[in-house]
Amino acid sequence: MTLLNPSPTPQPRPAIEPWKTKNPINTRLVVAASVIPAVIAVALTAIFQLAGPIGLILVFMPLQIIAAGAAGVRIYGRKGFADAMLIIFTIFFSSLVAVLLLSVLWSVISQGFKTISPQFLFQNNKYISATTDLAYGGVGHAIIGTLLVVGLTTLVTVPLGVAIAVYLTETRDRGRNVVRTLLQALSGLPSVVAGLFVYSALIVTGITGYAGWAGSLALMPLMLPTVARVAEEALRLVPMELRTGALALGAPAYRAFFMVTLPAAKTGLVTACLLGVARVIGETAPLLLTINSRNETSIDLTSPMASLPTYVYQYISNSYDTSIQRAWGAALVILMLVAILFATARLISSGKKINLRKRK
Amino acid sequence: MSAEMALQEQVGASSLRSEDVNVWFGERHVLGGVSLDFQPNQVTALIGPSGCGKSTYLRTLNRMHELIPGAGFAGKVLLDGKDIYGSDIDPVDVRLAIGMVFQKPNPFPTMTIAENVLAGLKLSGRRGYDANELVETSLRRASIWNEVKDRLKDPAISLSGGQQQRLCIARSLAMSPEVILMDEPCSALDPGSTRRIEETIVELSDSMTIVIVTHNMQQAQRVAHNTAFFLAEDGNPGQVVEYGRTEDVFNTPSDSRTNDYVNGHFG
Amino acid sequence: MRRKLMAKPFSWQDKAFFYTVRAAAGSSLVLVALIFAFLLARSLPALQQQGLGFVTGSVWDNSTTPPLFQIGSMLWGSILIAFLGIILAVPMSVAVSYFIVFLAGKRVKAIATTLIDLLAALPSIVIGLWGIAVFAPAGAEWSQLINKYLGWLPFFSSTTNNFLGTPFIAGWIVAVMIVPIISSVTREIFSQMDRELINAALALGGSKASTFLKVILPTASGGIVGGVLLGLGRALGETVAIFFVLNLSFDINWAGVLESRGGSIASMILSKFGEADPKTEIPALLAAGLVLFIVTLLVNSLAAVIVDRAQPWRKI
Repeated sequence: MTLLNPSPTPQPRPAIEPWKTKNPINTRLVVAASVIPAVIAVALTAIFQLAGPIGLILVFMPLQIIAAGAAGVRIYGRKGFADAMLIIFTIFFSSLVAVLLLSVLWSVISQGFKTISPQFLFQNNKYISATTDLAYGGVGHAIIGTLLVVGLTTLVTVPLGVAIAVYLTETRDRGRNVVRTLLQALSGLPSVVAGLFVYSALIVTGITGYAGWAGSLALMPLMLPTVARVAEEALRLVPMELRTGALALGAPAYRAFFMVTLPAAKTGLVTACLLGVARVIGETAPLLLTINSRNETSIDLTSPMASLPTYVYQYISNSYDTSIQRAWGAALVILMLVAILFATARLISSGKKINLRKRK
Repeated sequence: MSAEMALQEQVGASSLRSEDVNVWFGERHVLGGVSLDFQPNQVTALIGPSGCGKSTYLRTLNRMHELIPGAGFAGKVLLDGKDIYGSDIDPVDVRLAIGMVFQKPNPFPTMTIAENVLAGLKLSGRRGYDANELVETSLRRASIWNEVKDRLKDPAISLSGGQQQRLCIARSLAMSPEVILMDEPCSALDPGSTRRIEETIVELSDSMTIVIVTHNMQQAQRVAHNTAFFLAEDGNPGQVVEYGRTEDVFNTPSDSRTNDYVNGHFG
Repeated sequence: MRRKLMAKPFSWQDKAFFYTVRAAAGSSLVLVALIFAFLLARSLPALQQQGLGFVTGSVWDNSTTPPLFQIGSMLWGSILIAFLGIILAVPMSVAVSYFIVFLAGKRVKAIATTLIDLLAALPSIVIGLWGIAVFAPAGAEWSQLINKYLGWLPFFSSTTNNFLGTPFIAGWIVAVMIVPIISSVTREIFSQMDRELINAALALGGSKASTFLKVILPTASGGIVGGVLLGLGRALGETVAIFFVLNLSFDINWAGVLESRGGSIASMILSKFGEADPKTEIPALLAAGLVLFIVTLLVNSLAAVIVDRAQPWRKI
């Protein structure tokens, strides 16, 4: 049988996303609804000299709500009012989050850059007091301390976290759900409790005094859930066919894992490591309880150590301007470390995606 | 150890036989009493509609079946008279003796072409082989040598789908198995690649026993000496309806259901 | 006869491999058990001495005999601040998620997601510094305004006219820290939600608002509750960020969010730790840590179970 009139190949249908449909005719109305209240608010604030942002928001918000409501009703009828409110409140609360976040970033960056200099990054805190001029002293010792303490944590935690991830993905034990729930619960462990735990286990018992390695141990339970979770996702992304392929060739499970699954999940596991480090690099409370603080450079993990977060803590506690400036500087260093770790993690994982796409 | 010796003792093609194989997934009974005798140095095709359990059956032949969660099994699979499900048998040794090629080509993406060929030996911890020679003979037997001989260091996933599948066959051959199981090896490939793989299968059957699951009736007729027709009727577990020489099964089937299937009346 | 399938490791190397990963998994259990055991063992003397008053009373005095260590006001303070934080964070989190999933274009979505992830990564010491130096003065200004016009409500009264160090400001700081936690769960739920369901609601003549209120929110509510509990766990355990912006006081503050005194177990531990008497006071602080550990572990486990239930697609 021949088809005289073959049906045309169906065109790919555009995805229907009604919440994104735009009606160009109403643009003018919407613009008016957002501009007019702003202008009135600015004018009123200026005329009555209301205190800055407070006045602006107290006048602007109600006006904006009224204007948006009116525009909504004008366009869609009564139904439009609720829609306009939904949009207005979504944008309002989202902007609030953005303002808070950008305020944090902006203050750390702008204040931190006033403090940061080569000398601040490389010198230590010896002979420096809360009122010493910023031209002297720095966080060199704290950077070294943080790198050593977090480095030791990473050495211990990453193998353990990856092994737990292997348990969760490569075995079919009944206990997996328990372990997974436990890890999720552990990811909410208050950092001060982690510090108290190591303090009560090592320092109260006299096994050690305040020491860098005690701090490393205190960071471990905080880092572990992050590493295990991200590593689990990385291993889960390895296609099942590769595992069965290796087993069908007569590979014992451990060789199949180390020679096939592990190399395929490599970038994901590096990401797990980076995000784990980012999670603990700014932790303060556990270190305050376990490594105390130190003003000179030291690489001895068996004695008290300096670290960036405890340095910030030390200097916020004074209200002198130079002291707070030092805290901002160290906070910026922490922020940059976190940002570098995040950017690297993102770069690695996006690079992998591009590669896969190319080869397909 | 002795079990391994027993399995590896005989060189060349060996006889593979299943006796009353039953399979469950959880409580679902998917295969009921399949007994088949595979002839050495011959190709046997397993045909049947989707969901009749032929792929599942294939996986029981080298103990890949038990990797599926909730899988149950009853019966015997005998390789040269030895029950591969015996309690003293390491499944790893079974899979060394009985290789497998999957529906979707699955070369190891982190390895080069040459490394993929040798992957099985590395994965099973073998030593003392001539790597270059083994790579060449294996790739030649899988009739892909001429296409890849100048790019052995390239990543395996740079190959086309058909080439990847032949690489996977070469990977299996490098282990010098006695039996090779193929699970619809051509279903993801273009006609040209399919033809080349079929030629490879015919050549290989001189030296080993091959069992192939296929949806393609012409393919079964082109490559297989014997054919088994699987069918699962109305929620009953899958069974072998007919098993015999390929031309008999296709031309003079003894069961009317086989006749309907091979003539395209269902499935 | 069904035969027993041995999908079990056969060689000793495989056995070693699986024993190792099982041991690693077991170590997470051991870790939680160890935390519990050590805190309990070291704090037992204090708990026995203080009795139930430890969590109900509100006196911390090392000079009496026997010394009185009670964390009632701190426990309540932690709850009050966490509660405030959640009231503030939930609308922000839901709004941000709704914005990212349903309103934003592709590029804005990517930027917003990155920013929220970054917010999640900000260490609490950085938030604490920002809190004391930038947010607290502004927050105090707003507090004064609220007190001026709404001071007749018992929540917003103020006896000292000092608007720094209030639970209100601490609540905002906590809100900033838990918005990323709640919104990451909410976002996941929103984006996995069946688009057909939403289209159907809109096709039936529902407005965006009624679709949101009657379809999206009810469907996502389980996940949002889980996310809120995760945030609650974090809020209860938050230490340094609150430490800087709250005036700790053992004089219990029931609901006066604009009063310049409040409680927080975690911050109290930090503030008392430096000068604590190792014989008497340290065990009491460890006991406080134990209480915090138990409360957060319960809240977080509950959260984990609820979030898992609400995201069936994440199951294996």
